[in-house]
Amino acid sequence: MEIQEEMATTAPVLEITPQLTRARRSQLRIIFDRFMRNRVAVAGAIVLIIMTLAVIFAPLLTHNSPTAIDLAHVYAPPSLAHPFGTDDLGHDEFARALYGGRVSLAVGVSSMLVAIFIGVTLGAVAGYYGGWIDNLLMRITDVFLAVPLYLIVFVLSASFSDGSIKSVVFLIAIFGWMYAARLVRGEFLAIKEREFVLAARTIGAKDFRLMFRHILPNAAGPIIVNATLLIGSNIILEAVLSFFGFGIQPPNASWGSMLNNAQDVMTNDPLLVYIPGLLIFITVLCFNLVGDGLRDALDPYMTER
Amino acid sequence: MATKLLEVRDLQTHFKMREGVVRAVDGVSFDLEPGERIGIVGESGCGKSVTALSIMRLIKSPPGQIVGGNVLFEGQDLLDLSEAEMRRVRGGKIGMIFQDPMTSLNPTMTIGSQLAEGIQLHLKMSKRAAMNRAAELLHQVGIPDAEQRLKAYPHQFSGGMRQRVMIAMALSCNPRLLIADEPTTALDVTVQAQILELIRSVCQEFGTAVMLITHDMGVVAGMTDRIVVMYAGHVVESAPTDELFANPRHPYTLGLLSCIPRLDERRQETLTPIEGAPPDLLNPPPGCPFAPRCGFAIAACRKFPPMRTVGPNHIAACWVDTTDPAAQEQAQARRIAMAAARGDLPIMATGRSPTDRQDLG
Amino acid sequence: MRRYIIRRILQAILLLFLMSVGLFLLIHALPGGPAAVIAFNPHLTLAARQALIRRFGLDKPLYLQYFYWITAALRGNFGFSYVDGQAVTALLGQTFGNTLELFGSALVFALILAVPLGVISAIRHYTITDYLITVLAYFGISMPIFWFGLIVQLIFGVQLHWLPVVGQRTYGYNLDPFDTFIDYLQHLILPMCVLSLAFIAGWSRYMRSSMLETIQQDYIRTAKAKGLGPVATLVRHALRNALIPLVTVVAIDFGSIAGGAAVTETVFAWPGMGRLFIDSLTARDYPVLLAMLLLSAVVVILFNLIADILYAVLDPRIRYS
Repeated sequence: MEIQEEMATTAPVLEITPQLTRARRSQLRIIFDRFMRNRVAVAGAIVLIIMTLAVIFAPLLTHNSPTAIDLAHVYAPPSLAHPFGTDDLGHDEFARALYGGRVSLAVGVSSMLVAIFIGVTLGAVAGYYGGWIDNLLMRITDVFLAVPLYLIVFVLSASFSDGSIKSVVFLIAIFGWMYAARLVRGEFLAIKEREFVLAARTIGAKDFRLMFRHILPNAAGPIIVNATLLIGSNIILEAVLSFFGFGIQPPNASWGSMLNNAQDVMTNDPLLVYIPGLLIFITVLCFNLVGDGLRDALDPYMTER
Repeated sequence: MATKLLEVRDLQTHFKMREGVVRAVDGVSFDLEPGERIGIVGESGCGKSVTALSIMRLIKSPPGQIVGGNVLFEGQDLLDLSEAEMRRVRGGKIGMIFQDPMTSLNPTMTIGSQLAEGIQLHLKMSKRAAMNRAAELLHQVGIPDAEQRLKAYPHQFSGGMRQRVMIAMALSCNPRLLIADEPTTALDVTVQAQILELIRSVCQEFGTAVMLITHDMGVVAGMTDRIVVMYAGHVVESAPTDELFANPRHPYTLGLLSCIPRLDERRQETLTPIEGAPPDLLNPPPGCPFAPRCGFAIAACRKFPPMRTVGPNHIAACWVDTTDPAAQEQAQARRIAMAAARGDLPIMATGRSPTDRQDLG
Repeated sequence: MRRYIIRRILQAILLLFLMSVGLFLLIHALPGGPAAVIAFNPHLTLAARQALIRRFGLDKPLYLQYFYWITAALRGNFGFSYVDGQAVTALLGQTFGNTLELFGSALVFALILAVPLGVISAIRHYTITDYLITVLAYFGISMPIFWFGLIVQLIFGVQLHWLPVVGQRTYGYNLDPFDTFIDYLQHLILPMCVLSLAFIAGWSRYMRSSMLETIQQDYIRTAKAKGLGPVATLVRHALRNALIPLVTVVAIDFGSIAGGAAVTETVFAWPGMGRLFIDSLTARDYPVLLAMLLLSAVVVILFNLIADILYAVLDPRIRYS
């Protein structure tokens, strides 16, 4: 990681010419090809795409409503009518899994987007202005990094969250921005060091645009990797919250809250525990595989076999 | 007749890469007498380091592999030895030093323990005896305060001192041969001479043979008895040092020697680089590997040239007699034509191009 | 290096201070915070309410409340639980030992497994062994702990009846000391394995990449050129360098002891600090919550500091610079 940062700081600065833009597009192509060579990551990506499509098109895949109660058929084993069986109130597990998946995935992705946005903004501000602003923001980042994550999130969700998707998203996002902030700030500092160390001029608007154009290509890669992995950990965080009853609450349902329900009745029907958890596990696994695949594809120093 | 210390016969080391097989060393042969000093020169990628690593059997096994040849050391083929037997040779009979002394030493171990390690292993000494010997060795390589320095860490030494430590380490068990792979390339120019002198004197004192690997002709000039010139995994010329500098025969050697700017040149002499680029070792062209860049190339060069004796103890792998004036003129003309065709104009020793009006006449 | 350590310690103290202020404000800003518990209690008369508020010092300005609290906390007095009036310190003391047992054994277990797995994975990288270990590592990293706990409970407890799944010991039986110990171990093993999974996965990957990088270093080549055998090279040269980064990671992970076991403890009903936290949260027992938050943060910051210092101490390049 350090070599990369070093290379980023010592590489010569170039004008953004048409030739360069052309070269950069083929660089994207190179990265894409390298990612495609990683078969495991590609498999993970495919699974994710399938899963996303499945939850988006849930109404097409099942006619059952996730909230329809059918007390005549509780704890039913898997069948054609109920591919995943039913739970203790006769809900169709398959429908619940699909619609719950919407919530879990949506929460994971949107909290990532919010977190990255916060992180990039704070990092840019800290790096651009430097001085006491940078210092203050970095102290705040340190505080956020040092808090025991799960404890704080539990407390906050118990007190502030109303179980709606929006509040859970913001809650999770508040604790995911730190890495991106550090990354962007680091890039800014590196650029500043290179370009303006001798000239003691004040940084004007023109310079800001110039800096940004050089920072984005360098920072984009690691941020994308971080973002992908962040989705995975956000999904788990949401699941833990909901499992403890602090996150998503009825009438909304996510995979985590399904597990909350399942825990009470797990001796009656273990399938209720296996399925939502398996879905979470597979989803997070795929995000991790894709994220690591992206990291390897972007890493210019990866040793070939 | 005394047995030669080292006989390398038709050594071949190949690397299996995703794109194909790289024939890094493709039929290299040379000999070394006990106590003799030999220099192996060539540009980067010509296979000289791989040759040295192959002799030590330190080639990383996928993707590299020694696929043919013999390496006879004191009469025994090293390629036939088991790994355990080979370990006794490494450090014990053959010592090796590498290019970058900073990264070649373990940063988390004191140099005393790193030195003592080999001594304990090969000479079967106790820890204390090994440490004493280590201090002696440090003293011999010119490191002051040897006793204290044993407890120091590599990063506390300067580059030149670290290389002295490496030399001490390599010679600690009285090996018969020292292989030095670019020992001075990473050092300051002022330190280079000191290190070379150290190698020369210490090896002379103990009668250790030296295999000096470098791309710098200036380094081998003062240090070696004989020089082996390598190109693209083959030996192209081999001669005693004085003979090689006085009568170079292979076109590549000629090119190498004329690359070196000389103090006694007139200012308007052009620098003559060797045209072209090193060959692609994945798909080497058939025949002489130097032919595409060679001014002397003839039709016969499409077939691989045999090693011919061209002087006293002097062999070269070339079809052409480069001492023939007619051939030389033709080669000169062809070189300029190749350069013009590429759009490069020769660079003057003064840094200006011959098209500058001021330099004509 | 001494200057570096001093600087880090000062930074840590500053961080702790900021953290304590932040947590204090947080707790007091929560809807249903300390004052509200009293204020909205319908059974209290106005006078009684005001008396209570005055007694708990809740009518003082916020910074004064903080000052009282932090000075008491530094002396080890975190107040009393709203739930049963016990001294918070006593409550924490009871549960801390249990958490330490669980977390400590999980860490040790994870270390024992992760280092060899990572080393083997690196030495045999890109072989089947490496792929298998990597697959297991990915599984471990992606696994939601609480689900894993449930599965384990289902399989080993409910379906196979091999091991108990809740609590720390079996009550109601008078067993001799040895059997009590065995019983304790039986209760410990499942939550310990569940908790250690994430660590094993993460550390073995880290060890693998650290080892891979180390193996490619030039000094390994020098060691081989000296004639050192594979074991000696591995242990004396490679491991020595590759373990240093891992030590810092382990130290930092140890810092998450306070909150990290919360999930596992709840699933397995292990009487530790994590479960205490969840229970206190449900009961809105603010003194306990605040104390636990602060202590957890202290431990995290402390172990981050230890990690940095360890790294500086273990790497001679930093130690003697």
